[in-house]
Amino acid sequence: MTVLEVKNLQKTFGTIQAVQDISFSVEAGEVFTIIGPNGAGKTTTLEMIEGLVTPDQGEIRFGEMNWGKHAVAIKKKIGVQPQSSAMFDLLTPEENLNLFATFYDKARPTEEILELINLTDHRNNHVKKLSGGQRQRLAIGLAMISDPEIIFLDEPTTGLDPQARRNIWDIILQLKQLGKTTILTTHYMEEAEKLSDRVCIVDQGNIVTLDTPAALIEKLTEEREVRLSFIDGAAAAEEADRYSKNLDSVARTERVGTSLKLWTTKPEDTLYSLFGFTKEKNYQVEQVSIRELSLEDVFIAFTGKEWRD
Amino acid sequence: MNNIKQFKQMFLAQLKLTFREKQAWFWGIFFPVILMVIFMVIFSGGSNDEFSAKVAIVDENPNPTSETLLHQINALPVLEVESGGPVSREKADELVKDKDVDAAIILPESVDATSLLLVVNKENEQGITAQALSSILDKFVQQANLFAVGAEPIYELQFEAISSGSNELNYTDFLLTGMIALAIAQGGLFGMVDLVEMRRKGLIKRLRMTPANMNIFGLSDMIMRLLFSVIQIILLSLIGVLIFGAKLYINFPSLLIVFILGALSFNALGYFISSFSKTTEAYMGVANIFSFLMMFLSGIFIPVETMPDWIQPISNVLPLTYFVEGLRDSMVYSTSIFSGTLWLGIGILAIWGILSYLIGSWLYKRKSIVATR
Repeated sequence: MTVLEVKNLQKTFGTIQAVQDISFSVEAGEVFTIIGPNGAGKTTTLEMIEGLVTPDQGEIRFGEMNWGKHAVAIKKKIGVQPQSSAMFDLLTPEENLNLFATFYDKARPTEEILELINLTDHRNNHVKKLSGGQRQRLAIGLAMISDPEIIFLDEPTTGLDPQARRNIWDIILQLKQLGKTTILTTHYMEEAEKLSDRVCIVDQGNIVTLDTPAALIEKLTEEREVRLSFIDGAAAAEEADRYSKNLDSVARTERVGTSLKLWTTKPEDTLYSLFGFTKEKNYQVEQVSIRELSLEDVFIAFTGKEWRD
Repeated sequence: MNNIKQFKQMFLAQLKLTFREKQAWFWGIFFPVILMVIFMVIFSGGSNDEFSAKVAIVDENPNPTSETLLHQINALPVLEVESGGPVSREKADELVKDKDVDAAIILPESVDATSLLLVVNKENEQGITAQALSSILDKFVQQANLFAVGAEPIYELQFEAISSGSNELNYTDFLLTGMIALAIAQGGLFGMVDLVEMRRKGLIKRLRMTPANMNIFGLSDMIMRLLFSVIQIILLSLIGVLIFGAKLYINFPSLLIVFILGALSFNALGYFISSFSKTTEAYMGVANIFSFLMMFLSGIFIPVETMPDWIQPISNVLPLTYFVEGLRDSMVYSTSIFSGTLWLGIGILAIWGILSYLIGSWLYKRKSIVATR
């Protein structure tokens, strides 16, 4: 079931065309991630979907509802954690949650949310005394207070330490288990790869590609990098280098001392032949590795940009 | 029903936010109290004393005329005669030069001489005391003239200051009402900095993402601010009345109208400033300019009437001028709610409030897209 459909969104601020043409649809229960370099139009796209910014062109539909006619109904259905974790700094987490709860007809018990975002111990501290990770968790808690069907998380882990990031991943996975739909933007490829069902890469206001993380990586698997290192010294490595150059699948090689790197389109076949050769020569191989391709490689391949935090 | 629940929670939150904001207490309560106490201690002392001047009398050639005049001058209660009796001319000049006396009066040297000489220090020539002495003696001479020709004065000027509530209006009452007006005005003028801060932090944006009724949010905020101003007015009045002996004759309906319209208008002014201030620093800068301008030009410490002529037109457009006037009318003069002048002042105040609000809202709407980015 499609819960959100976005068609041909466009938005221009002055002379900057922030969003040129973006269309996608999100299915119920999935984690849908939008990634892209800074200024790619991620936040503008999200803000249009959240009803904060009116698109110049295009259509946004939540099932049968749209912002023009059903603004209040949509607001009740969605929960938003904006990039700036905005909340009342002089209130406690509990007071913030209670206040936000009154905005909705139905709300989850504050207790339950505090438990879920692991802030029960800090419920009575003023928000301004919380750490970055705690604030971010509270922001997610505020987005969940109305028990929404769709949750928007705009860079929930930016600027957090690895521990705090993993905390937030747990929360997102719990939301998924509850059958909620999550729309996520992030700066961390690892995160997108681990959490998302589908990833959408946006650059210069357009969608560059959209698929499951595995499928995106698959698209790149043309040459893989294989590394080996030899115990029997540089001479053995040189022999192996010479041998592998003659293999059809190997595109190029690189040797430094006892270690050898090869780029191959068929890593299994290449290794099979190479191990046949080393067995025959009685060379001992100390380390073998095939470098895994990550979403980061996909990102760089599609946008031609280094990933910047 | 849900609106009432929302209002209650929002008001509760506003209450907590205000209570926990130390700045609000300092600038809203502590600062006006200190300012008022300082001004009252400096300016109220001696303000009730009557006019008096110290003079030296020179009577070089005692004669019947000079004797009569001397006798009459001695009888004037406002003049204090130096060393109890006549001194030499040289001594008198020296006393004037050293400012040991305000002036010297040289009595006629013979029965036929008709002039009375008043010697004052050049530096004090334009001073109030010299002016007053001159007019006292003038009057004195006039009377002597009339007497000399045997005429009775036909017209006589009598002077009495009155006010409708109390004829004892003094600087304490003036300053107390001024400080109350200033505290409420500054509360509104500076208080809206919260809005800039909320916008900067994205809190307004965050609330707009929820189905929360922003009108109710604004209302709860306004009521909190009015409540805070009520605390200001009560606290300052109590200190003024109990410690400095201010006398208030309050007309409560008038006070209520002036207070609510005044507080709302100055909040609207703050709202207007917030609509074009991107940062809290920018906001505070503009609010400070407004505040200082009004503090000295609106008759808080000094009555507008005593200011230079070219400044008065400025004072006469500033909203605080009318707010403080309205407060004095309703708190000291006990002016009734049916008074025309009261409503004229309130009207001008309300025009300021309404215009600020409308322009502020327009600016907010116009920039809404930019503001949310």
